[in-house]
Amino acid sequence: MTKQNTLREIEKKAYMSYHQDGLLDIFVGLYALAFGLGMIADKMLEFGFGAIMPAILVAIVLPIWIEAKRKITMPRIGFVKFGARGSNKLFALLLGLTVAGLGVFMLFGVFLATGQIGRPWWIEILFQYGMIWIGLGAAVIGSLFAYTMGLKRLHGYGLLTLALFVSGYFLSIPFEYLLLAIGSIIIASGAALLVQFARRYPLPKGAQANVVQ
Amino acid sequence: MSSSDADIQNIDRLIHEPSRLTIMMNLYVVESADFQFLQHQTDMTPGNLSSHLRKLEDAGYVEVTKEFVNRTPHTALRLTRKGREAFKEYRRNVKRFIDKVPE
Repeated sequence: MTKQNTLREIEKKAYMSYHQDGLLDIFVGLYALAFGLGMIADKMLEFGFGAIMPAILVAIVLPIWIEAKRKITMPRIGFVKFGARGSNKLFALLLGLTVAGLGVFMLFGVFLATGQIGRPWWIEILFQYGMIWIGLGAAVIGSLFAYTMGLKRLHGYGLLTLALFVSGYFLSIPFEYLLLAIGSIIIASGAALLVQFARRYPLPKGAQANVVQ
Repeated sequence: MSSSDADIQNIDRLIHEPSRLTIMMNLYVVESADFQFLQHQTDMTPGNLSSHLRKLEDAGYVEVTKEFVNRTPHTALRLTRKGREAFKEYRRNVKRFIDKVPE
């Protein structure tokens, strides 16, 4: 009998084993890195990359992540379909984040629209300390995903982002370079997890690994 | 027969065996899983896992289906409705028995 006595622990173990491959980290890190590079390219080339990069990246990165899960994770650990309960929690979180994102977008619109007529004081403060709010937002989002997905390292990424952005605010480091830094750190962490995962779950020999004998 | 004796007699012995209980618990928390995933989660040898799965399948608690996921064949294992109900009943009976055991 295993040490994990409760159903909740077993469910968590199942979920975590499927997400300990480091792929999520690599792709989130790549996203941040590419976003930062896009903003730098935007400044250098005056192309407007930064504005459209998020949408391009999601369209490119998401299918690659799904394919990487299929080619790297599934052959090593097998295939599992999680129940609706876990998916519902994640869906609720993503929906909440989308609504929050729309709220931020509207705030930004208010910021731009009130430039000529005089901004409300709370909008000024919000955007004066924008980097700190972004860092706080990242910490909160990281913690929410960590709680929902049971991946504790996401707490760490959120706190690291907060620390970097707060430092960046006081040291006047441009936003895009902070993205490069956080992206690189998360990619490195993901790569280390991937190596560890591949060692822990080597590819099974032969075709009998997935067949009831 | 005391009520606690009756409770322990009602415990499903097929599920109560530690390896099969582990299998049932792991399948209970997911919609379905393939053999490889279940083997990793339970740390059982392929032969041992196969043997216990066959017993659970014969009892109608586990369903084994061959399906394709992204053009790759997989053997999907899932608890049947009968299996889920049996597991829930097992949990109730064990809890009822444990609650009656004096400190």
